[in-house]
Formats: sequence, structure tokens, C-alpha cells
Amino acid sequence: MTSPFEPHDVTWNRVSPRLVTAMLVPAAIWLGVPAVVGVVLSLTLSPWFWILAGLPAALLLWSVLLIPRQVRAIGYAERDDDLLIRKGVLFRSLVVVPYGRMQYVDVEAGPLDRRLGLAKVQLHTASVGTDAVIPGLPPEEAARLRDRLASRGEARLAGL
Amino acid sequence: MSTPETTPDAAGQPAPSGDEALEWRRVHPVTPLVRGWAVVGAAVVILGQQSLEGGPRGGLIDLLTGDYWWTVLAALAAVALVGWGYSVLAWRMTTYAIGEEAVHLRRGILFRQQRHARLDRLQSVDIRQPLVARFFGLCELTLETAGGTDSGVAIGFLKGSDADALRAELLARAAGLKVARTSPSAPAAGTEGPPGPEGAPTSTAPEPAPVAVEAPQVPVLTVPVGRLIASVLRSGATIMLLLWALVVVVVMIATGEFAVLSASLPAVLGAGGYVFNRLTGEFDFRVAISPDGVRLRHGMLETRSQTIPPGRVQAVRLVQSVLWRGRDWWRVQVNVAGYGGDSEEKNSLLLPVGTRDEALTVLSLVLPDLGIEEPRRVLDAGLDGDSRAPSVFVTAPRRTRILDPVAWRRNGFAVTGRALLLRRGRLVKILDVVPHERTQSLGINQGPWQRRLGVASFQVHSTEGPVHPEAPHLDADDAARLMAEQARRARTARATAGPERWMERQGE
Repeated sequence: MTSPFEPHDVTWNRVSPRLVTAMLVPAAIWLGVPAVVGVVLSLTLSPWFWILAGLPAALLLWSVLLIPRQVRAIGYAERDDDLLIRKGVLFRSLVVVPYGRMQYVDVEAGPLDRRLGLAKVQLHTASVGTDAVIPGLPPEEAARLRDRLASRGEARLAGL
Repeated sequence: MSTPETTPDAAGQPAPSGDEALEWRRVHPVTPLVRGWAVVGAAVVILGQQSLEGGPRGGLIDLLTGDYWWTVLAALAAVALVGWGYSVLAWRMTTYAIGEEAVHLRRGILFRQQRHARLDRLQSVDIRQPLVARFFGLCELTLETAGGTDSGVAIGFLKGSDADALRAELLARAAGLKVARTSPSAPAAGTEGPPGPEGAPTSTAPEPAPVAVEAPQVPVLTVPVGRLIASVLRSGATIMLLLWALVVVVVMIATGEFAVLSASLPAVLGAGGYVFNRLTGEFDFRVAISPDGVRLRHGMLETRSQTIPPGRVQAVRLVQSVLWRGRDWWRVQVNVAGYGGDSEEKNSLLLPVGTRDEALTVLSLVLPDLGIEEPRRVLDAGLDGDSRAPSVFVTAPRRTRILDPVAWRRNGFAVTGRALLLRRGRLVKILDVVPHERTQSLGINQGPWQRRLGVASFQVHSTEGPVHPEAPHLDADDAARLMAEQARRARTARATAGPERWMERQGE
């Protein structure tokens, strides 16, 4: 059985492994701080606070295990007429965006992303349902992709 | 006060670009009166809430019945004056112009806004008449473009006949017909303007010879009031309302407490409001067809007259809840770019309730050619067929009955020459039709359970609206093939699709 996520005529481009760091840092902050607070409280006040410490700690461990796999699962491919983006380990998804349907392209980079040398490219069609985001691209690759998408979209320009 | 309409009436207003001289017009001078009512209405509602919940010093009811009742009236009058004053200012600052290629609208008091909507990107033209405006015979014309929520241009209020003429002109220009300018170069409108009600040239200036004739329309069907009421009675909201009333009565009898009644008031009001909105919004629903596309007209308190030109429908959904099955009634909804958002419920409806024949007739109005030999047989299979009856539908495999025990036989898709048909649901039967050239993007999703069973869900991403086409739990091979072929079909269909200006093909 062929997997719908592996079209035969496609070679996938991977995103930068630095995206792992970019995703782990926020997770560590959001989950690590409550865990530390929980540990401190359980040592000083009551052992019940171990629950408070344990839950975020478990989630953090899970993220540390999962995020590298998630990053490896992200792939994108430029075909002649459309762009393919796939992602997800447990819940997988694949999106096909024809160049002619593209309304605009966003390139974004937050402070952490800039520090790590990453950028995010997002494609917008007339549908809000189009979830076409490629995170973790090196800035020059993001710029190249943006220009390429823009020029291809222009070549196949159409209304809606 | 008698400034010529053609000069910009606010500082910092950029001159209209291009060489075409735009004739700026004002909306009807009664507009502020109509708009101001909203403020008064809001004030009354707030007062009502205050008096219900008990305001300061024993509530407003005491205040109203006491010696100082006039203070409340005075406050209301002040609010009304402010509201109307603001509306007058807003009216002064609102002007619009129709160019060759675009509609221009300028508005805003402090923050000036100039909007420029290209006519070839026009998605629909609607004329709305709220209750208050109806007393004055005024209408608001809304032109939707595909820019997402709040991207339309609302020109209001206009005299009914002016709104109709403007709609005809806009549609004719958007269709690509060469139309004469509405007014022949208007010799300096307002130079010798009398000190009377300045502006409003739309209502006072004599219209020149008919430039854009309203396209003739042929009525297709109307929804009888009796059927509309019956259909709303057979809706989930009514059933919930009745059940709720039953529970409340039982509890009241059992406990002897009347507090239950007031506690359940918000829920009852909510459901009642929904039923009321359905009834008044879908009242007297009429469908007609014209060369400019489908015409819809509906509403009791607020009437709406919608025109959706050909090729603007992005997706169609035919839906039937289990309560309508006995009568074989169907509801038809559409995605039109620009219709999404707040008023989606009112706008995106092609038929509130109709028999199967009527629903399919309406479908054929917006998608005349599905590219199949026997459309009726295929559509019937899509509406209520399942995998036990042989049809062109490719259905989900038997092993997915664990994932969807009720409707697994229904989940499926069929590809025709012009459109993709996706069916699903058994209690609420759904058939989505997406023309190939309107596909925005495609998606496949697969959860862990689906992976074990070797199935995946397929989605077509359409513009914002009530229709979200998808085919759940298809065999992985089918899904992969559909994805690949559909991407190709969408591409080739787009290349042969009709022009944005729908009359150009025949017109030239």
C-alpha cells in the first residue's frame, strides 16, 4: 500500500535542524518554570505540590522526545505547478497549494528565530483553511522560496 | 455649505488617480436619521437591562415611576442627539463614485478611509433594507469583493430606485459590458447649488437616459411560508426548546419553585432568538435567475436582495437533518468569497428549505454543468445513497466502521468532468459540490488510528463560508490518487474556466 504522504514523484526538502532548538526553548520556558515552582513549593510547603511539578515535567520530557521527530517529519517540495507541505508524526497532514491560487506569502521571524538564523514562510490562499506553513527555514532559503513562489504565482495568475 | 461635489471635501484627500474624472456622490440625506436609530436602540436596550437587573437606588423602574422620570427621557434625548449628530457628520464625510474599473468610497470622520474596489473582482451585489430604512424607502447596497471579512463596500442609504439602478450599472460594468457613464459629465454639480439640502445628487438630479438596464430575471421558485415554519419547527433548536420547556415545567411542578422559570430565561431567549431569526430572515424566500447570475430575495423585517454573478460560487452544500427526512427537504448553502464572517448565516443561503427537486434545481442554477451524463442519478446517490447501492461514488472501506459506525457507508466522493462531489453523514446527510476550478488547496490528514487501518481523510479548502468540503476515512490509495488527480484537474479546469467578466465571452 502506498502512503498518501509519499507521492512517488516528489523529493522532500527538510527544514533546518535548528528548528528543534527554536521549538524547545519556548517549551522549556512554559513547562520548565511551573515545574521548578512546583518543586520549590513541594519542598517548602506540602508534598502535594509534586503533582504540580510532575505534570509539566512529564510534558516537557514528552516534548523533548517528540519535537526532534516532529521537525524531521516536516517536509516541503516544489513541483511544477504546486507546493507540497507535509508534517506531523502521530497526526500527519499533507497540503497541496497550487501556485495559481496563492494570494500572498508571509515571511516571519521572531527574536529567537532570528538569533538561530531561521524564518517561517506562510502561504495564503483565498481559503482560511489552507494551513500552509513552513517553519524553520534558513533566511536565504526563505527569501528564495518567497521570490520563487511569488514569480510562479504571477505566471499562473488568476482571480479566485 | 454648497461645496461642489467634485472637490475633495476634506484636507489631505488624495486626488483620484488616473485620468478619469470621478463624479463623487453623496448618499441619501435621510441616512443619518436611519443610522442614528441604532444608537437610540442600543441606549434603550442598556436601560432595559439596567432596569431588569436593578440599577442604583432600587432600580430604574423606581426612577421612571418617581418624580424624576423626565431625567431618563432627557438622557435618552441627549443620546439620540449625539447619535444623530455623529451620523450627520459621518454622512457629510461619506462620498462614493463609480469609475470605469472600480468603485470608490470615502468615509470616516477622524480616520479617513478611501476604498477602491475593482469591479472585475466583484463577488456579489446585495441590496439590504433594514426595518427603519424601509419607512423611508431607502436601501443599502453592498458590493462584496474577495478580500475576506469586512472587505466589501457598503453604499447606503440610497433611494430604492437609485439602488436598483446602481446595482444594474455595477453588474453591467463588472460583466464587461461597455456602459455609458451614469450622468453626462454633470456640468459642475453644485456651482449654483441652492442653499437647500445640498448634496444628494443621486436623488435630486434627473437621471439621464437609461444607461444600464436591469437584466431581466426569471423567477425560479419561492418557499411557501407554511413550509418554512414547518421546517423551523422540525429543527434541533425547536426540539431543544420544547424539551427544555418540558423539563422546566416538570421541575416547577415537582418543587413548587418558580425560580426555575427565571433561571432558564436566558437559554429560552437564546433558542427563541435563533428560531425568530431563522423565520424572519428566511421569510418569503425567492430564487430567480438572470444573465447577471442568481437572484435571491428574502426577509421579513430586514429584506435582502442578493445577486451572485456566474462563477462566483466557490462551493455548494446540500444538507438534510434527520428531522427533515420524512418530507425529503433539503437546505442549500454556498460559499461565496466575501460572504463569510458575521452575516454568513444570512448571506450564504441559496435555499432555506426545499424539496429534492427544488434543491437540485437551485444547484443547477449556480453550477449549470456538472460534466456528467446522468446528473440526477449521480446526485441522488450523493444525497442519500450509500455503499450498498452501486454508483460512481468511491466510498470508504468497510474497515472504517470502527471509526465512524453510523455513517461509514456514506463517506465517499465522486469526480465528474466539472466538479468534485463529496458525501457524508447519515443523521445529517451532506453533499458538497466543489467545481474543479474553485479548488483553493487540498489536504490529507491521518491520525494514528487511521494509519493502522490504512485510511486517510481528504479535504478541499474553500473560501470562508458554511461549506467545508471533506471526505473522511478514504482508503489511503484512493486518497492519494484523488489528491494527485484533483490537483491536476483544478489546474486544467482553471485554464478553461469562464472569464471574470462573465458577459465578455458572448459580448465581443
